[in-house]
Amino acid sequence: MDLVDFARGPALKAAFIIFILGIVWRIVNVLLLRHKRILSEPRRSVGAALLAGLKGTGSRSWPHPEFIKRTVTGEALGYSYHIGLFIVILLFAPHIIFFGSFIGARWPALPNSVVTIFAVITLTLFVAVLARRLGHPVLRRLSNFDDFFSWFVVALLLVSGLMATAHVGAPYHTILGLHILSFDLLLIWYPFGKLMHAFYIFPTRAVDGYVMTRKGAPS
Amino acid sequence: MSTLGHIPVCVEPIGSVLDAQGMVGGGMAAILTELAVLLERLVQHGEPGAIDVRSLPLSPTERMRLIETLGAGEVDIRIQANGESHIRETSIPGVWWSEHRDSDGVLLVTLIEVARVPEMVAAADADLVRGAERLRAVLAPLCAAHGGTTHGTT
Amino acid sequence: MGRPDLEPTIGELLDRHGVSRRSFFKYCTAMASLLALPPLAARALASQLRSAQRPSVIYLSFQECTGCLESFTRSFAPTIENLIFNVISLDYDDTLMAAAGAQAEQAREQAMRSHYGKYLLVVDGAVPTGDGGVYHCAAGRTGLDILTECAKGAAAVVCVGTCASFGGLPFADPNPTGARAISTLVPDKPVVNVSGCPPIPEVIAGTLLQYVSSGRVPDLDAHLRPTVFYGNSIHDRCYRRPFYDQGKFAKTFDDEGARSGWCLYELGCKGPTTYNACATLKWNNAVSFPIQSGHPCLGCAEPDFWDRGSFYSPIPSPRWGKAGEVSPAQAGDIAAGAAVAGAAIGLGSVMLARQRIKRYQRQPPQQSEPRNEE
Repeated sequence: MDLVDFARGPALKAAFIIFILGIVWRIVNVLLLRHKRILSEPRRSVGAALLAGLKGTGSRSWPHPEFIKRTVTGEALGYSYHIGLFIVILLFAPHIIFFGSFIGARWPALPNSVVTIFAVITLTLFVAVLARRLGHPVLRRLSNFDDFFSWFVVALLLVSGLMATAHVGAPYHTILGLHILSFDLLLIWYPFGKLMHAFYIFPTRAVDGYVMTRKGAPS
Repeated sequence: MSTLGHIPVCVEPIGSVLDAQGMVGGGMAAILTELAVLLERLVQHGEPGAIDVRSLPLSPTERMRLIETLGAGEVDIRIQANGESHIRETSIPGVWWSEHRDSDGVLLVTLIEVARVPEMVAAADADLVRGAERLRAVLAPLCAAHGGTTHGTT
Repeated sequence: MGRPDLEPTIGELLDRHGVSRRSFFKYCTAMASLLALPPLAARALASQLRSAQRPSVIYLSFQECTGCLESFTRSFAPTIENLIFNVISLDYDDTLMAAAGAQAEQAREQAMRSHYGKYLLVVDGAVPTGDGGVYHCAAGRTGLDILTECAKGAAAVVCVGTCASFGGLPFADPNPTGARAISTLVPDKPVVNVSGCPPIPEVIAGTLLQYVSSGRVPDLDAHLRPTVFYGNSIHDRCYRRPFYDQGKFAKTFDDEGARSGWCLYELGCKGPTTYNACATLKWNNAVSFPIQSGHPCLGCAEPDFWDRGSFYSPIPSPRWGKAGEVSPAQAGDIAAGAAVAGAAIGLGSVMLARQRIKRYQRQPPQQSEPRNEE
C-alpha cells in the first residue's frame, strides 16, 4: 500500500469516523450542559425573543456600523478567504469527485485555471491573515495554539493542493498522497479545534439573540 | 441481433474536435519560433539543428497546418538506404522536412532539420574510402587490359 | 576467463554485412528520437554503437503470460531482427530459440560460461517463492533456483513487464504463490525495471539499445525505471490535457463529452499517477494509445495496479477496505455509527460533569473559593 492508497483508504476512514464522532460529541455536550438561567424579569415574549434570535443569525454577519472602521480589515480578509475556500473546495473537479462519492452526486466544476487562481489568492489572503494576527498587539495576545494549528492545517491543504496542481516538489503521486493525508488531518482536528466554529457560529448567534431579547437588551 | 449498423459510430473529420475548441495554434507558433532561432544559429555559427516532430504534442490538424505553412522548396531528395528516406526542402531555405522509413515502409522518424544540406545526404568519410577502394578494384583489370598503368600517361 | 576480446564490434559486423553508413545513420536517427535524445545526437550514438560489442543476452521467463515477449517482437524501431542480429546476441530465450530441452539449457550454460560477468540477463514474469518455489519449474528446477544461478554472472538485470518489475498479476492480492518482484530477489546486481502490461515494444528495445551504446545502466527513477521513458506522467504528455485544464470531462463512455474526445479523468483515467511513454511513443508504430482510443489509462506501469480498486473509479475516489470505492450508503452507515458513538460519549461526559457539579454543590472543596454556579 502506498501513500495515496493509505491516505484515501484506512486513514480517510479513521479520520471520517473521528470527524463525525467528534462533532456529534461536542454538539451533544453543548446542548445538554446546564445553561445559565435567565434571572431577569422577562421583558419580551418568548416568540419575539425567538424571532430576534433567528434574525440575529443573519444580521450579525455584517459588522456593527459603530465598529466598522475598526473591524473592516479583519472582516474583509475573513470574508474573502472564506469565499475563496468555498470555491476551491467545492468547485474543483477532483474535489467534486471526492465529495460527490460520499453523497452519490456530482455537480458542475469550474475550469482548473480559474480554481488555481482562486487558490493562489486564498493562500495569499491566508498569509495576510496570519501576518495580521502576529502583528496586531491585541490579536496576538488572544491567540493560542489552537488558532495557529487550525491555520496551519488549512494552509497545508492549500499549499499541497497547489503543489499537486503545479507538479512541483515531488512526483504528483506523492504530493497527492500528502494532500489527502493533510485532509485526513483536517478531519481529525476539526471537531476539537476552532474549526468547529462552522457548526457553532449560527446556533450561538441565535441563542445570544434570544437571551438578550428576553432580557430586554436591543440586539 | 445486432449488426454493424446498430453500433453507433460517429465519424469526425480529423482534428475537428480540437478545432472546435479553438485549441490549435499554440504548438505551431512554438515550433516556428524555434525554427527561427535555429536558422539564426545556422547563419551566424554554421551550426545545424533539428526538431523531432514526435516529441511535440501536435494534433493532426496542427501537423497538417505546419506542413502547409512551411510549404515546398526547390529540393526533393529520396534516399534508398535500408528503406526510403524522403527529404524535402521547405519554402524556407535551409529548413528541411525529412521522413525516414524502414524497409517495410514504416515511418521511423520525422525531423525538421535546419542545415545547408541534411547530414544524411552527404557521403560519410569511411564510405568515401571504401568507395575509392572499390573503384580502384574495378579499374585495375581495365588498365591491365589496355597495357597501361593505373596512373594517367597523357 | 582471460579470453581476449576476439569478438567483432557492431561496426565491423555492419561492414561485413554491407550495411552502409547512411543506413546505419538513419537507424541511429530513429533511435535518438526513440530515446528522446536531441536529434543531432544521432551521430554520437552511431559512433558509440559502432565501437561497442554485442552483449550476450539471456532471456528468462517465469510467472508471465508471454504478452511482454509478444510486445517485444512487435518493436518497429529497432525491429527485433535488427536488434537480435546486429545489436545483441540473444543466446537463450526458451520461447524464441530453435533449440529445446537439454540443448537449449546447454546453450544457456555455454553463454554464461563464456561471458561470465558481462552478459545481460533479461527477465519477464515474477518468481514464486511460496512452498519452496514449486509453482514455477523448468528443466526440473524452480524458477528461484534458475534466477539465482543466472543472476550471479550477469552484468545487469533488465526486468521486462510489470510482473518482473513489481510482481504484477501473480503478486496481486492474495498472492497465493508467494510471487515476488525480481529486484527483491537479486539484491547485488544493477536492476532496470521496464514496467508496463506489457511495456511498449520500443521501450524494451530502446532500453537494451541504450545499455549497449553506453555500456552502463541508464538513469533510473525511484522505481528503477529508465527516466528517458518513464520520466513523464501520461497526464503531462496527454493530448487531452487541455480538456482537463478546462474542466471538460466525459461522464460516461457514450456521452457527448466522450464523443468530443474530452478528458477521461472522471471515468477512472490513471494518467496523472502513471509514468510511461504511451502518450509520446504510442503503440503499434505510433498509431494510437489507450486514451486516444477512448479508454482511460489503467496505470499498468505502476506497482500494485491490480490492487487499486476498479479501473473505472477516479483517482480522488475514497477507497475504504478491499471492496473498493465508498458508496453513499456505506458512508451513511459509517457516519450513523460514528454519530451514535459520538452522542453516547457526549451524553456520558455530560452526565459525569453534572455529577461533579452536584458533588461540588453539596460539598464545596475547602481551600478554593466557592464559585457562583447557576
